[in-house]
Amino acid sequence: MDTRDYIESGIIEQYVLGLTSVEETADVENMAIEHVEVKQAIYDFEIMVEQQANENVIHPPAFIKTNIEGALSNKFSAINSKQIPHYKNEGAIIRNLSSLKYIAAAAIILLLFSTGLNFYFYSAFKNTNTKYEALFNERNTLQANNASYRTQIDEMNQSFSVIQDSNMVNITMKGTKGREDNIATVFWNSQTKDVYLISNKLFKTPEGKQYQLWAIVDGKPVNAGMVAYDCNGVCKMSKKIDHAQAFAITLEKQGGSAAPTMEQMYVIGKVS
Amino acid sequence: MPEFLKYNEQELVAMLKQRTQEAFNYLYDNYSASLYTVIVSVIQDKELANDVLQEVFIKIWRQIDQYNADKGRLFTWMINISRNASIDTLRSKSYNSQKQNRELTESVYNAAGSVNIETDRIGLRKVITALKEDQKVLIELAYFQGYTQDEIAKLLNMPLGTVKTRLRSALINLRAILKK
Repeated sequence: MDTRDYIESGIIEQYVLGLTSVEETADVENMAIEHVEVKQAIYDFEIMVEQQANENVIHPPAFIKTNIEGALSNKFSAINSKQIPHYKNEGAIIRNLSSLKYIAAAAIILLLFSTGLNFYFYSAFKNTNTKYEALFNERNTLQANNASYRTQIDEMNQSFSVIQDSNMVNITMKGTKGREDNIATVFWNSQTKDVYLISNKLFKTPEGKQYQLWAIVDGKPVNAGMVAYDCNGVCKMSKKIDHAQAFAITLEKQGGSAAPTMEQMYVIGKVS
Repeated sequence: MPEFLKYNEQELVAMLKQRTQEAFNYLYDNYSASLYTVIVSVIQDKELANDVLQEVFIKIWRQIDQYNADKGRLFTWMINISRNASIDTLRSKSYNSQKQNRELTESVYNAAGSVNIETDRIGLRKVITALKEDQKVLIELAYFQGYTQDEIAKLLNMPLGTVKTRLRSALINLRAILKK
């Protein structure tokens, strides 16, 4: 078969339309390489088919292009990326990045907030601790005071029980001439012979001096004991007195005297 | 080749191999209608044809490096991709099951007249209407339905040699019609 017969056999058309078998295809391609006329014939028929294919075409719906662009968007090269507006996948990446940014920003804000809270709580804790210590000290003070009040109440109860005793004789000693402001009371138990003293109102003793109680027995002063410096309320005197007609207090030297200094008598009262 | 084309095939192939956005736009804007026409001449279902067109463009994009200008024009290569993709779809199981479903409501679709395309007036189908009936059948089976010559011989109970000769005669006549 010469080239011309080959070209007019219909194999060229079959080849261009894609209807040749694998062997026929290889055969045509070899012929095209060997014979320019075959190659030309192929080209001519291709142009004919192409021209026919461009007549009365049907246009696909517009959305198809968008769909294909979407599918190919990440496969477009970056050469003219400036012309690429925004494609789905790129948009997704940008969205992902921006959402990461938001997460990071949120994390930083939370961290700052948490740090702030830590400072706040620490200072609040310190404040509370200081207050707690103050309260603790106050409580201790109150407890100590309480103990001291309790002691005082005990003393007063004791004093009351002393005073309330039915055997108790009450002797009010009034201020002597020039010392009328002074007053003291002796409680004398007629049974036990114990002597108790209430320094209602006595001048504060000068340095080195002390009050001394005397019982006047048959006109003579008998030492009834020293008035303690810390005597508040009812104080039990150290000596018992069997009988007396009067009681008096003089200001003596510290520790007391054997005989009273009469001009230093502050109060005196008769046993009724 | 239409004269309004900005780039010749050689330039277009070079652009396509660079995979630029511009190359895609140019390819789609200038060739989508021709390729779509080839597809709908095989597949009458418009929605299916839409899917195939997308598939074809993605194939062209991915396989452009396999295109060999020594073996033929780019346009021929793209048309054959379109025809092959259409026939593959036509023969796929999913299409056949779809078709069965569709047959139940075919009269409804036909009444609406919007789904199927009247293909006798488009592309190569329009050309083969001028052929004799026996040649028309051969081209229908070979080109539009994708049967091999062996398959056609069995289908029509004809010797393979006769199928070959008659198909080529049909194609020679086709060329004569195109030449006019």
